[in-house]
Amino acid sequence: MTAVPPLAAEFLERLRRRDPEALAGAVQEHAKPLFRAARGMGFAAADAEDLVQDVFTTFLERLEAFEGRSQLRTWLFGILHRKAMERRRGLAVDERTDPIDSVFEARFDTRGHWVRPPADLERMLLSREAGERIRGCMEGLPANQREAFALREVEGLETAEICKILDVTVTHFGVLLHRARARLRECLESQGWSHR
Amino acid sequence: MISCRSVAELLDADLLHAQSWWKRAQVRLHLAMCGACSRLARQLEQLRAAARGAGKGHEPDAGLEERILHKLRR
Repeated sequence: MTAVPPLAAEFLERLRRRDPEALAGAVQEHAKPLFRAARGMGFAAADAEDLVQDVFTTFLERLEAFEGRSQLRTWLFGILHRKAMERRRGLAVDERTDPIDSVFEARFDTRGHWVRPPADLERMLLSREAGERIRGCMEGLPANQREAFALREVEGLETAEICKILDVTVTHFGVLLHRARARLRECLESQGWSHR
Repeated sequence: MISCRSVAELLDADLLHAQSWWKRAQVRLHLAMCGACSRLARQLEQLRAAARGAGKGHEPDAGLEERILHKLRR
């Protein structure tokens, strides 16, 4: 997905005036990607729709504060991220340590050579059940890793935009993505489809 | 020479683009010579394609946009 330019001043002005056509355009363009991202974060369909509604309501309430320097998509996904965090309050995890790091390390010897090389998952990832299996494995990801993976791999957003949305550094995002992929690899490889 | 572990971490984290040209060249050379790491790179590509497909199973019920606009206009 290519980067899109910042929001045009004229369009922003129309949104501020609650121009029905401009509002419909923003909803038409962004509602489905926001819904898919919410589902990718683990929200059930009804909750995801409620969340997207909440995103647009908040967006209109705060429109005066939006200076139009970033893309509308980035701003909306940023609101989605914060709303999702509010709803998950109490589920925060300590990010400094993650058991998947030891699992990843155990795949290498002390010189950094593979002891347990990655499996060939082509047969499984090209099968009809691939989507279902990936969704199943994604459900086992911690919320922050799941969100990072969904924005990158399901929605195809660029790293810089995701970092703005999640308010994290590139390095932190890299850690989230690495842990998400390492977990998914372990999950998919454990399902017995692989051949080495 | 760069280790398989470092290559795997860079590929998993999507941080290759943020490295120096020398490090990127080392990784490319490593991938050309290491079957296990090139399989990992392939696995990540396949995972990406399959994840996009998985996202298609998350489409909303028809009329999402109309429902949202209806509530916004109230």
